[in-house]
Amino acid sequence: MTAETRILRLHVNGSDVDVAAPSHWTLLEVVRYRLGLTGTKQGCDKGDCGACTLLVDGRARLSCITLAGDAVGHRVTTIEGLVTKDGLDLLQRTFDEAGALQCGFCQPGMIVAARACLDAKPEATRAEVKEALASNLCRCTGYTKIFEAVEQAVRAGRAAHTNGPASLVGDSAALAGGRR
Amino acid sequence: MSAGKLPADRADPLQHARSPNRTFGPQPPGAQFEVVGKRSRKVDAAGKATGEARYTDDLALPGMLHGKTLRSPHPHARIKRIDTAKAEALPGVLGVVTGAEMPVRFGVIPWTQDETALAVDKVRFIGDPVAAVAAVDEETAQAALRLIEVDYELLTPLFDPAEALARKDVVIHEGNKHGNVTKEVLLEFGDPDGALARSDFVVEDDYEFHGTAHAPIETHVALARYGSDGVLTLWSATQIPHYVHRELARVLDLPAPQIRVIQPHLGGAFGGKSDPFSLEFCAAKLAIKTRRPVKFLYTREEEFYAHRGRHPMQMRFKTGMTKDGRLTAVDSKILIDGGAYSSFGLVTTYYSGQLLTGPHDLPNYRFHSTRVFTNKPPCGPKRGHGSVQPRFALEVQLDRLAEKAGLDPIEVRRRNFQGAYTTTVNGQRVTSNGFDQCLAQVEAASGWKARRGKLGRGKGLGCAGSMYISGTNYCVYPNDMPQAGIQIKVDRSGLVTVFSGASDIGQGSNTVVATIVAEELGLRLEDVRVVAADSDLCPVDLGAYSSRITFMVGNAAIHAARKLRKLVQQAVAEEWGVAPERVALAGGFAFDLEERARVVSSAKAFHLAEAKFETLGATGSYNTPNLGGDYRGGTIGASPAYSFTACVAEVDVDLETGEVRVPHVWTSHDCGRALNPVLVEGQIEGSAYMGFGEVFLESHAVNQYGLTTRPNLLDYTIPTALDCPEFHASIVESLDPEGPYGAKEAGEGPLHPTIPAIANAIHDACGIWLTKLPFTPAKVLAALQAKAKADAASGGTRGGASGGASGGALGGDQGGKR
Amino acid sequence: MLRLEPFAFAKPQTTDEALALLARHGAKAKLIAGGTDLLPNLKHGLYEPEVVIALSDLAELRGVAVNGAGELEIGAMTTLEEVERAALVRARAPGLAQAAAAVAGPTQRTMGTLGGNVCLDTRCVWINQSHFWRQSLGFCLKKDGTVCHVVKGGKSCVAAASNDTATLLVALRARLTIRSAAATREVAIADFYKADGAMNLRLAPDELLTRITVPAPAPQGTWSGYAKLRPRASIDFPRLSVGVAWTTQQDGTFADATVVVSAIAATPRVIAGIGELLRGRRPDDLAALLAAGEKARSVVTPLTNIDGDPQWRRAMVPVFVKRSFLAGARGGA
Ligand SMILES: Cc1cc2nc3c(=O)[nH]c(=O)nc-3n(C[C@H](O)[C@H](O)[C@H](O)COP(=O)(O)OP(=O)(O)OC[C@H]3O[C@@H](n4cnc5c(N)ncnc54)[C@H](O)[C@@H]3O)c2cc1C
Ligand code: SF4
Ligand code: FES
Ligand code: FES
Repeated sequence: MTAETRILRLHVNGSDVDVAAPSHWTLLEVVRYRLGLTGTKQGCDKGDCGACTLLVDGRARLSCITLAGDAVGHRVTTIEGLVTKDGLDLLQRTFDEAGALQCGFCQPGMIVAARACLDAKPEATRAEVKEALASNLCRCTGYTKIFEAVEQAVRAGRAAHTNGPASLVGDSAALAGGRR
Repeated sequence: MSAGKLPADRADPLQHARSPNRTFGPQPPGAQFEVVGKRSRKVDAAGKATGEARYTDDLALPGMLHGKTLRSPHPHARIKRIDTAKAEALPGVLGVVTGAEMPVRFGVIPWTQDETALAVDKVRFIGDPVAAVAAVDEETAQAALRLIEVDYELLTPLFDPAEALARKDVVIHEGNKHGNVTKEVLLEFGDPDGALARSDFVVEDDYEFHGTAHAPIETHVALARYGSDGVLTLWSATQIPHYVHRELARVLDLPAPQIRVIQPHLGGAFGGKSDPFSLEFCAAKLAIKTRRPVKFLYTREEEFYAHRGRHPMQMRFKTGMTKDGRLTAVDSKILIDGGAYSSFGLVTTYYSGQLLTGPHDLPNYRFHSTRVFTNKPPCGPKRGHGSVQPRFALEVQLDRLAEKAGLDPIEVRRRNFQGAYTTTVNGQRVTSNGFDQCLAQVEAASGWKARRGKLGRGKGLGCAGSMYISGTNYCVYPNDMPQAGIQIKVDRSGLVTVFSGASDIGQGSNTVVATIVAEELGLRLEDVRVVAADSDLCPVDLGAYSSRITFMVGNAAIHAARKLRKLVQQAVAEEWGVAPERVALAGGFAFDLEERARVVSSAKAFHLAEAKFETLGATGSYNTPNLGGDYRGGTIGASPAYSFTACVAEVDVDLETGEVRVPHVWTSHDCGRALNPVLVEGQIEGSAYMGFGEVFLESHAVNQYGLTTRPNLLDYTIPTALDCPEFHASIVESLDPEGPYGAKEAGEGPLHPTIPAIANAIHDACGIWLTKLPFTPAKVLAALQAKAKADAASGGTRGGASGGASGGALGGDQGGKR
Repeated sequence: MLRLEPFAFAKPQTTDEALALLARHGAKAKLIAGGTDLLPNLKHGLYEPEVVIALSDLAELRGVAVNGAGELEIGAMTTLEEVERAALVRARAPGLAQAAAAVAGPTQRTMGTLGGNVCLDTRCVWINQSHFWRQSLGFCLKKDGTVCHVVKGGKSCVAAASNDTATLLVALRARLTIRSAAATREVAIADFYKADGAMNLRLAPDELLTRITVPAPAPQGTWSGYAKLRPRASIDFPRLSVGVAWTTQQDGTFADATVVVSAIAATPRVIAGIGELLRGRRPDDLAALLAAGEKARSVVTPLTNIDGDPQWRRAMVPVFVKRSFLAGARGGA
């Protein structure tokens, strides 16, 4: 059958957008190739690797096996959406600081999955972090520095909680200053 | 031979270090290191964390078409006819190309060019590219593939390398001089037979290493544009832009100056992007034919067909030892399954022998390696190219011999340590060597002495060591030009831009380059910008393989930056009327060492230099000295410096199921100076991870029809966050006299010992010797059962007579020591 | 990328609307719940729907409750993560929480539903592959072809039921509520499956699974446990799936017990005679548990439909039967 193209009203990174896309397109295809939000990656295109992870209503979701139409009416957040006018998400900074980023290809998916994990469990233990990231494959790091990055964010989040927003950056304070 | 003492009959290893050449020694340019050695962030990491970083598939051009490749469904067949008319007639299809239009054979190694962009007359494995289409979208391109008619005459396929070696009636590459043999190397050093005959202990076993894949999370992707100026621009996920550039020119018959190759951010490679690939030629050809930009993005399955993964090897190893634990000789015979094409196979064949002569002093050595073609996806270079497989065999044999000699495995390795500044039996010059410290580190970190033998049932510790090259002397195409180049431009704002040919494939080479230039010019890391891997902008670099980048490009960067440093110091010194030695450059300033108050910003210092001299810029380059044994192939594997690794693994064998858990892997790596310890640790952890995956989980194979059995990331199981051991990385800095500030490689070496360390730990845990990778639970369990039977047969005494060697395990003399 | 073939997409807002769409399109339609099985299969060309009907907006199919009879009622659209975490499930059918937690990886479980898991298509190394791959082989019985590569000369497909929760739901004697525009029926889950790998569900093209009902625990408590064999600790489908459920007598010994083994053939297999074998033995009597496991092993025959040495997988049956009992004991009743 021939493709049926529809206008989808999506809510992506805080704004409504209308996109024309064939009904059989996945959310990944729409996000990358219609909206130009290429931060979300594709590594297997069938649910096996986690590179395409983004957030739908704050929960991690594999966009390569999500039909775009299914996202209508829900909040979609991509890696780009974690950057706000206040700067980068804490996890984006700790991933950098901890040296978790090698080729970086798994990282957008990894970071948003970690974001969903910490939003649900701000005090996640290493074991919980491992559980939460177990749909996301990384071929470069052996995960060690990824776990460290999330733990660093947990500590920084805790410091922010006890000391107020001024210390939000916690032990990643150096980052805020050193960024170019 | 004891550490550091040179035998009279071996060449003076320091000869080169003393001779004038473009290396700068381990010293900092100023009083101390300001940038080098710090745990700095990577220069390009922030963009990767935010999604800004552009990888090849993130690029789109106006009017861009999408390409798809038609692949052979047969493992071995002759193409009788291809008819593309119907595909061409499909609305939305703008171009179709077949092998006839690009018949020129290519390959990185000039002597073994046997690939074409698309099959010309034959297909040699299931997945071999046959035709390609460019259309308005991927769906249309996909539909067009179904309209291409191909008539095949089926030929007998060969999947078993032993059969491919034996059969003369089936030839995979007609015209190949030696049937299905792609390369055969037999080299002998010293007197292996005599030494083995005189050894107190000899072990001789068969080992098997299976095929494994790189599985970078980014698949292959290429985008080509043919401009109205006649310039072809190719953006490609490649780790060797220079070779792609050369081969594009040859295959497309375009003048090389009309081609520009750019490598955007790369989503992992591990050696798998070291060949030119079909899609690069097809994208280019179709862009020229259609006058529209064309992008090819391989699916994961296609990535498994493009392959170039680790070569399966069948290895017979015979190793001897004296009573006091000295290695006497190694004699190896290796059959290498090359798959359908040569790729880097010539080098693989040499590396399977040449890289085994350290860190243990090996006085007598023979290797006989034969690589054959089979009708399977082609193998190529994968992290630890060529030497991971024989290293597994050798290190397991060392443990077997240690057991026979009644010695601790770490002690045996210590006794055989070849030392620094020596020459190996095959004529390789070894400079700095911190392997003994690596051993000491993993021994201490793992609690080896206190814990070994006391972990309880099914648990054990094992160790192994290895060496690897930091680049190779062997230049794949013969020329006298530098192997690496750097160009620096200085802006009046104080920003320094470094043009580097090197491919940052995630390992952090851009950060290494920036670190060095910042160090030399007294800048902060953020004042240096690196432009890399663009053939129009950057000097030639040979690519990210053989762990050559830090060493070679690093030296080129020092070379370039130091020229500028001199000019800046001189200009500032003149301005102040002091001697140039008094001018220090650090932290974004130039200051007077004796009168600290006298200081100008780097930008101001650059202004002074530009005013005094001319527009500021510098080039730098590096070439290896003449290295290697004086025999055919003697330069292959000859490296200006070697890295060394020691590893201890802890295992926990489930005696009920044969499943093995690995709670910890301790890896200590001698990388010379760690220019950025975070990057080095990342390489060590990532290497150990990859080795771990190969031991238990990963297997790239074809089924009885020649179809790749696990062409996706669900079936080709790479370890998840929950499977991995805790990786404990530590660094030994044996400063190398020729490395940049003493640095050596870190990206591939640390993978090697992981595999035998785990094998040895399994033996320590439960008394079985596993010899055939991967160690599936089925094999482990079969070996455990065979051992139990043997133990029972010998009256329950441990260490009794040989049991059956089932499941890829050796029975026999291993016995339990507790 | 793995582009999908075109289809129309509908997202009904009520179950009735969904049923009406199903009635209209019948076999030309495919339902999508979490999509974690449907989408990969579509990308492999295993189905060719003209319309895909999304169930994601049917809030009425989502949630966990206990009905008047003390039975656990789980809406088909409840996600696996919700099932795994629901206090009611953990309290009344801990084994089901274990099985749900063993499915795929965490992200797949936030997407995948219990209904989708119950309706999961069977799996086989020869079928869960791209169109190109399958075509190179001349396809197979399950789709587009005429031969089976697992059983030479076989006339029916033996692709394996690979849904983790189904194993446990069969052990718990769960019932399924199935609706069409015309009728509503309830079926014991064991009868929902048939021994045909090509289509192992007794589900008409116009039918929708709406609810999974787990019988009320026995007065003394009903115990359940799950054990799964797979290469990696996450993501992988089962290479062997074992679910057990049992009740105890006053003295703590077994009153009745059920062992179900799956990831072998097209349906989860209930092992006959386990109740008699275990009655009177204690749940921590390892010899008894292994005996039950041996019984299971003697009747199942792993095939090459699933990756992993079949002989070894068979040898693992007793071990995993034992382990599922132990997991059940840890989980409490
Ligand atoms: C990488 C990966 C690993 C996986 N590993 C596992 C695993 O280990 N174990 C496992 O069991 N599963 C696994 N799965 C499959 C899948 O995630 C789960 O089975 C999940 O529960 C399926 O639910 P879903 O809602 O996503 O189903 P969908 O994909 O939406 O649907 C599955 C099938 O059921 C039908 N269907 C769905 N809901 C209904 C309904 N209410 N009524 C009638 N028909 C319906 C659909 O039409 C479709 O045919 C894996 C998937 C992936 C991608
Ligand atoms: S069991 Fe046979 S028919 Fe069924 S999917 Fe596998 S190969 Fe095809
Ligand atoms: S690209 Fe979506 S999971 Fe791999
Ligand atoms: S950083 Fe390369 S895949 Fe994770």
